[in-house]
Parts: sequence; C-alpha cells; structure tokens
Amino acid sequence: MPKPVHPASPARGAAAPGPACLPPRCGLGLKPEHFRAILETQPEIGFFEIHAENYMVEGGPLHHYLTQIRSHYPLSLHGVGLSIGGDGELDAVHLDRLAALIERYAPDSFSEHLAWSSHGGVFLDDLLPLPYDRYSLIRVCAHIDQVQTRLGRRMLLENPATYVEFAASTFSEAEFLGEVVVRTGCGLLLDVSNAYVSCVNHGRDPWAFIEALPLAAVGQVHLAGFACDTDAAGDSLLIDTHGAPVSQAVWALYRRLLGRVGPMPTLIERDNDIPPLPVLLAEARCAQGMLQELAP
Amino acid sequence: MSARDDFARALLDPDQPCPAGLVAWNGSDPARRFQVYRNNVLVALVDALADGFMVTRELVGDAFFRAMAAAHARAHPPRSPVLACYGADFPGFIARFPPAAGLPYLADVARLEYLRVVACHAADVAPVSQAALAARLADEAGLPALGLGLQPSLAVLSSRFAVVSLWAAHHGVGDLAAVLPEAAETALVLRPGLEVEVIGIPPASGVFIAALQSGRPLGQAADEAMALGVGFDLAATLGLLLQKSAVTALHPSGSIS
Amino acid sequence: MSAITTKSISAASLALAVGAALSLAAAPAAAQDRMADKEKCFGVALKGKNDCKAGAGTTCAGTSKVDYQGNAWSLVPKGSCEKTASPSSPTGHGQLAEFKEKKV
Repeated sequence: MPKPVHPASPARGAAAPGPACLPPRCGLGLKPEHFRAILETQPEIGFFEIHAENYMVEGGPLHHYLTQIRSHYPLSLHGVGLSIGGDGELDAVHLDRLAALIERYAPDSFSEHLAWSSHGGVFLDDLLPLPYDRYSLIRVCAHIDQVQTRLGRRMLLENPATYVEFAASTFSEAEFLGEVVVRTGCGLLLDVSNAYVSCVNHGRDPWAFIEALPLAAVGQVHLAGFACDTDAAGDSLLIDTHGAPVSQAVWALYRRLLGRVGPMPTLIERDNDIPPLPVLLAEARCAQGMLQELAP
Repeated sequence: MSARDDFARALLDPDQPCPAGLVAWNGSDPARRFQVYRNNVLVALVDALADGFMVTRELVGDAFFRAMAAAHARAHPPRSPVLACYGADFPGFIARFPPAAGLPYLADVARLEYLRVVACHAADVAPVSQAALAARLADEAGLPALGLGLQPSLAVLSSRFAVVSLWAAHHGVGDLAAVLPEAAETALVLRPGLEVEVIGIPPASGVFIAALQSGRPLGQAADEAMALGVGFDLAATLGLLLQKSAVTALHPSGSIS
Repeated sequence: MSAITTKSISAASLALAVGAALSLAAAPAAAQDRMADKEKCFGVALKGKNDCKAGAGTTCAGTSKVDYQGNAWSLVPKGSCEKTASPSSPTGHGQLAEFKEKKV
C-alpha cells in the first residue's frame, strides 16, 4: 500500500488548491462553433473550459482563438485522454503534452476522470469503467501522484457516468473516491449529472451517493444533459450524451449540493448537438442564479 | 489475458462476447449495458473521421461512409489520445476497400481532405518578407543554389484524378456533373493565415514546389519542373507562393536544415 | 554555362522569374490569373474531436459490423458520386459496389 504523498485536502477555502483557482461562478465549455461570437460579444460568464486533447496541436486557428479568449476569461483545462484508470503505465509523452499546454495557457484548474480510455497502445475514445477494488485504488493513486508531481499542481478527479458495475468491486464509488482524495490530496470534480445518471443506472439514491462523497474536496461542479434508454430488464438506463439541456432532477440535486458545499465553479457541458451561444448562456444564467442565491 | 484485455477487445469487435465480471443492480443481462460502451467508442471514432472527410462522406453518402469508417476504426483504431489528426491511414484503407473500388478517385479525395486537416493544425511560422527575397536578386549568381523554406502546413497532392474540381464542386464551386473525375489534377494545400486553402496548380508547379519542400535549391527545382516538358511558369508559381505567405526561410547555401 | 545547350536554368532566367514573381505577388489578382486555375478557400470545420460526447443509445453502430463478403443486408450508396461522370461505367455515373452489414 503506497503512503499518501500529500495530506488530505482540508475543508474548501482553507487549502491552496494550486497555482490559481476558478471563480465560484458558472462557466461554459468552449466550442470552436462559438469562438467568434465570444470574441465579438464578450459575454458575462465565469470561465471557459476546454478539453485538453483538442488543443494538443502545433498551431492554427484553435490556438489563435484560445489565446485571445484566454486573455479575457479564466480557463479550466479538462483532460479526456490521460487514462488515469488505465491498467498500465501512464503515457509519459501524453503527460508531457499536457504539461506543455498548461505551461502555455496557465489554466486556473486541471481535471481528469476516474476512468480509462487507452489500453495496449490503442486509444478507445470513451471514458470506460473500472472495478473499485484495492488493485484499482493503488493504480489510480499512483497515476494521480505521477500527474500531480509532473504538473506541479493539484488536480481534480471527476466521478464518471457508468452503465455497468463489476462483480469484483469491493468499494462503493463514493468510498473509492474518498480513499483516492485522502491518499493523493487531489480534489473532486463533482459531476452532478454523472452522479444522477450512475445512480439511476445502478438503482441507488443520488442524494445519498452525493452525501457519501468527500464533499470537502469538491473544487468544481459539472452539469450536463443525458438521453434515456432502457436495459435488458426494461429499467431506465440513462446515457451521458452531453447533448441536451440539464434536467430538472439534476438542477434540484445541484441546488441541494450548493446548500451543502457553498458556491462552486460550475460548468454547463454540451458536446453534442451544440446550440447557439445564447442558448447556453441562458442555461448558465440558471446556474448563476442558484449560485447567487447563496451569496450573503 | 486480463479482464481489461477482454473488455478492450470486445469494445471494437462485436464478435467477442460481453466481458465477464459485469453486473447490473437489477440482475439484467449486462451485455445490453455493455453495448453502450461499444456504441460510444465506435460512434466517437466514426464521428472523428466524418468531421475530417466531409467530401468523401458526401460522395458516398452517410450510410456508406459510416460503415466504411467503422470498418477502418476497427482495423486501425487510434494509437494516440489526440484525435485532431486521426485518419492518416484512412485514405489508404479506402483505396483497398473493395466496396469502394467503383470510385477510384475516392482515396485521393480523402488524401486531399486529410492534408487539409493536417494543414489546419500545422505550426504557425512567419513568412519571409518580399524585401528579403528582393535582396537576394543582388546576388544573381547565387540564385540557383538558393533554398526556400516553406510553411509546415504546405503540401502538394498530384493525382490521376480531378481531386481539386471534385472537392471544389462540393463547396459550391463548379458543377459536379460537369467534372470529369479521370482528368489528372495537382492540388496545393496550405494555410496562409487561419483558413486552409486548396489551389489547383499545373503539374509542373507541383513538381517544383515538392522539390523545394524536399530541400532542393531553386535552380534544381526549376530544372525538375521544366523536365516534365509540359510547360512551367516559374514566375507565376513563385508569385503564388509569395502571395500565399508560403515562403518562410531563405537559405543562400541551398542547405535546409 | 548556356541555357541553350544544357538543361539547367540560368541564373539570369531565375533572376528574371524571381523579379516577376515579386511583382505578381504585389498584385494578387494577377498571380492568380496567370496560374489560370481554380482556387477557393474554406474554413476547415473546426470541431473538437476529443469531446465527452456519446452515442445516444445502446444499439446500432457498436454492434453492426461491416462484412462485405457476407449477405445479411445491402447498403445502397446515396452519395453525390452518383452525379459524377464516369465514362467507363455502364450507367455513365460513378458506382459503388454494394456491400453488406450484419447485425450481431
């Protein structure tokens, strides 16, 4: 069992969360479709978040626009390809690319997923589930230690949306995340939609799941939409598509969460069927309204 | 063979069984749930190809394209988590894909589209000033040995097919029905600023630019172009390169490091 | 060295061409006209390929496998290739061989 290299994160606000931190406001995923509209209208928004891998290219319009937008807004860097839950070693070349991107844009937050996406040298382009057992815990913690050491900063780890569970699991997901936070000192990116999707998919109570998470370590919240399907028994199977507005059930959980943890940087994610910027800004204002209800 | 190996293999191969050890809270068959992952992986990879090969897709229709892209994704899944330039071997796959054999130009259209993707994300390098090139005229005897560095985004595609016309017709330039696919064309792909351009050039110009790109000096590149024997307008070709900010370095010795 | 008796371009010819190229580059329309070919620029569709999106369901793509030796069902091409001229084709237009998919 490896010893924790970082102490557990103290309560929110007391810890130094890294080189910088996002404002406790609502942000949006940055989409190339909106580059020009953002620069022309300079909308009132707390921050933008990018998927790190999309910007791991040498030059061209992506960097051109991101550089300009970065100069006006706080930035969150969200990785989707590090394969923290991978079986083997982390891809050191990829970690170097990530470090270079962080060096270039100095994001206010860096986050990744409790999932795997590469195996045997092949990139499978999805956030895949892992059994929550001792073996996974040791490996995930070693990978997070390696990332935090290489990047010289604390990272946030996101709870996944999952469709299957493993007979081999010996921890609940909340317990597993709690252990990872304690052992590595990383923060938690609480994706409320993922929490809801997973709980519906696995027959659990979403609020009980959220309450069991290490809430003191939450550094950011994600909200997104999902699609509805059914499993082989005809029970609800929700698919985390990021292709729809945030559902009422997720808004209700979010409001309740804010009452518990206080104002948090909050992202509205939309990666599929991307609507015009004003539609997403309106959704962001919804979250912003809930954040402001908490303001003294 | 680990459980993870089984899981990964089953994602890309529907002939593999659902991996062992998966459970569902209600005791339902986990195979149905596992299909969500299979679907996600394949849809994501096919979408990544569809975004980069839009004309190829229009040529064969969405259903054919997605089936062909899925076959490619399963045979050649990405080796890197950076998908921006995924699809380098897709044109070659298309060339060997029996159902597409009736469209011999399809692979070259895909090659052209892939060059555009690469050009879009290539490094940004400032062009040399025209004054710097004008200054080289003072040393006329040194001109044949002058090497020209070109933009990293630049590529030449010399095709047996009318790739530029086919591509342009799908972007509202020219009538597709009037294009003769079997007419050879040479495409110059480059990104002078933020926008990738596709320019049809004479074959000799293509030979000249490709020679420069391979590091051969001005005199030798011009000789190679003229040796084609089909007419070569050096001034126009150089003028185009200058106008498109394609020349990024001048190497008086001819050596390009 | 003489341009008449060798295959190498002379320094003087190069100087003339470079001078003309500089003039052409200063007058953009002229350079294009002399290339006498089509030129068009369009933005590459800038879509993030590394996104957290997902297919909308449990079925379809993930389990259907292209099997172009098989015979489960035929896929009929409906692309713009049907509008391209193809003198060598019996229909006078581009054709795709049918290929098959099977559902697992």
